Amino acid sequence: MTASPSDTTATEDVTGPSALDSYAESVAKSVGALSWSTNFDTVKVFVATDKWTSSLRTAKTELGLIFFSFLSAIHWSNDVEVGDAPSDPVDERLEVLAAVGDLIEGHLVHFSTSLPVNGAALATLTGIYGGANWHEREAAEMFAIDFVGHPNLEKLYLPSEFEGHPLRKSFPLLSREVKPWPGTVDVEGMPGTADDAPEDSATESMPSGVSTENPGR
Amino acid sequence: MGVVEKFGIPKPISSLLNWSRKYSLWMFQFGLACCAVEMIAAAGPRYDMMRFGIIPFPASPRQADLMIVAGTVTDKMAPAVRRLYDQMPDPKYVISMGSCANCGGPYWDSYSVTKGVDQIIPVDVYVPGCPPRPEALMDGIVMLQKKIQAEDMREKWMERDREPV
Amino acid sequence: MTIEQEALKHFSEVSVAVELQTSDMTLNIGPQHPSTHGVLRIVAKVDGERVSDVTPVIGYMHRGYEKIAEVRTYPQITALVNRIDWVSGFANEVPFMAAAEKLMEIEVPERARYIRMILTEMARIASHLMFMASYPLELGATTPLMFALRERERVLDLIESVTGGRFHPNFNRIGGVQPNAGAGPTQKKAIQDLPRGFLQGARDAMDSLLKTCVEFDELVTGNEIFLARCKGVGILSPELAADFGVSGPNLRASGVAFDLRKHTDYLPYDKVQFEVATGTVGDSFDRWLVRLEEIRQSAYIVQQAVDQIPSGPLQAKVPKIIKVPKGEAYVRAENPKGEMGYYLVSEGGQGPYRLKIRSASYSNISVIPILLEGVLVPDIIAIMGSFDFVLGDVDR
Repeated sequence: MTASPSDTTATEDVTGPSALDSYAESVAKSVGALSWSTNFDTVKVFVATDKWTSSLRTAKTELGLIFFSFLSAIHWSNDVEVGDAPSDPVDERLEVLAAVGDLIEGHLVHFSTSLPVNGAALATLTGIYGGANWHEREAAEMFAIDFVGHPNLEKLYLPSEFEGHPLRKSFPLLSREVKPWPGTVDVEGMPGTADDAPEDSATESMPSGVSTENPGR
Repeated sequence: MGVVEKFGIPKPISSLLNWSRKYSLWMFQFGLACCAVEMIAAAGPRYDMMRFGIIPFPASPRQADLMIVAGTVTDKMAPAVRRLYDQMPDPKYVISMGSCANCGGPYWDSYSVTKGVDQIIPVDVYVPGCPPRPEALMDGIVMLQKKIQAEDMREKWMERDREPV
Repeated sequence: MTIEQEALKHFSEVSVAVELQTSDMTLNIGPQHPSTHGVLRIVAKVDGERVSDVTPVIGYMHRGYEKIAEVRTYPQITALVNRIDWVSGFANEVPFMAAAEKLMEIEVPERARYIRMILTEMARIASHLMFMASYPLELGATTPLMFALRERERVLDLIESVTGGRFHPNFNRIGGVQPNAGAGPTQKKAIQDLPRGFLQGARDAMDSLLKTCVEFDELVTGNEIFLARCKGVGILSPELAADFGVSGPNLRASGVAFDLRKHTDYLPYDKVQFEVATGTVGDSFDRWLVRLEEIRQSAYIVQQAVDQIPSGPLQAKVPKIIKVPKGEAYVRAENPKGEMGYYLVSEGGQGPYRLKIRSASYSNISVIPILLEGVLVPDIIAIMGSFDFVLGDVDR
């Protein structure tokens, strides 16, 4: 159940156990969250950007969520370079996710906050969770988010001369542009794509689970 | 102009030298990714590639004749691959093991993967597979041994400064 | 002043002088080094034999999974994800499938869930056996490598007999599993079930594996050199482990009895009896013991599962072209290396809009710089090796 609907979550027909809902509600209340959701057993708590560190500090010290699982982001954008665009138009933003859990009950709570795409900046969590160090470096490298107060916000994965932020939706994959997907040479007639060829025998001969529609994705 | 370049090596001597070289290949294990596990399995008790005269001990390229590049080469790793290849003494051979080292494999469109190790070093034998089974790697090794046996030492000598294709 | 006192004074002056002369040296290990499990690079500042500061440099195996997952379909991603942690490929597929199935609201048949559980545990055994092979090797013992690889080949044979692949099975389908994966579209009536003799073969292999565990105890666990190298070395406190997101056997070795198999229902672990192996001190030796015990527990799980496995279909009804409805789900699983999770964001297409891969080794080794501070140089390898990371799981 979703307390206040958000465009990022499917709200219809969620059969989450109510224990999870009440847990999510209590977490959201303790950290002063804007809203919460438990879609598909995934507890998500939306917090304001300026309350990011304070809510996670509360989560660690008062709610016992001491296990730092991961920190990452989602770039919500209607203008995507590769892959599928969102089905419905979304607000252009970066959603930062931090997943923290406990080690007794097995709860895991995703804290979420939204940042503007240009000049995205967020206070660092390194003072609260030591593990946030590398995860924030990764997010900074992949999404161009400035984590204010981070001790060492250098590139983690890519060579220092690499330019661009790969997980931004505006980042193209150049190899795909210079070379079509190798599999397309022996697959004919893609049904269901933009130029909608009629369904042909290729669909029938494919094993189940293999997409004949646009295999070049 | 040395003697070898000018006159070559007589065939009986050359084939004797080739024969002795092909059964004592010291292998530098360039284990990078998944294929490295299969390379270890090939050296393990069931497949035991030492019986082909492949000695998988050198931890340093300076003692090795053969380098098996097993796994994905990324753009960040590529300079190190080249540097270690340059440290190997001539004559040296390279086996590219697995789809990633051959051409990028499943990461053909990734932004950080080198599309084939042959862009940075010359490769003698390509072993396909993702990952190749230990048997496939052994087949590649036997193929390399055949290549060494048929080798003209003069040509090998001349091409020691060859560049990747 | 007696002669002894004078001599002492002299020696203390000499040692002070020697101390003054030392300067920090930078020691670079990797990215290609036989003991770093792949292409990890460690830049250590050493003062004599003491390590004062350690900087791991990762990214030599970064293949950009999260980006290329956005341009693949769900069945194609199955083939990708089992190459993340390449010594336990099967275990990587399961949580991804579970995430997609959760969003599609597909109920997986019970027999398929059992097959997944059996193969996941076999992947765990194979992964831990790789640790049993490599860790003593890093400490200087070559014999355990042969013992472990011999046993590992038996387990891989079983996995291969079902899936057709030694360790990259690509065997899960959304909604179930697909035995005889190589049968192809022409053999529609192919017998799609476990191969004959698999269950008995699994029983036999587990019996022999349990014997090998005893051999390992005799060969390695009590070995004096082994004990000296790893007892009391690299002690990881439970607080530090939780703070850095260290999970799996490394966390349990610190005394935290947290196992996602007991807390989540992605596989029918509630139907089998097993114990969560924990350590007491959290040193390298405990990490060895926990993994050895986990091999035993996994063998017990396989033994129970092959006795209990129900009959029935292997695949739920799924549409021919897989499109996952709009939504977000995070499924985490207890993988051999620790918590592996997939945050799957779907926008209703054939591929994910965003796939965040939470891999265990990445968090596990992020704590290494803190553990390595002040240790001796040879302990770098002893500590790093005991964390049993795989670089594909670190860099993705």
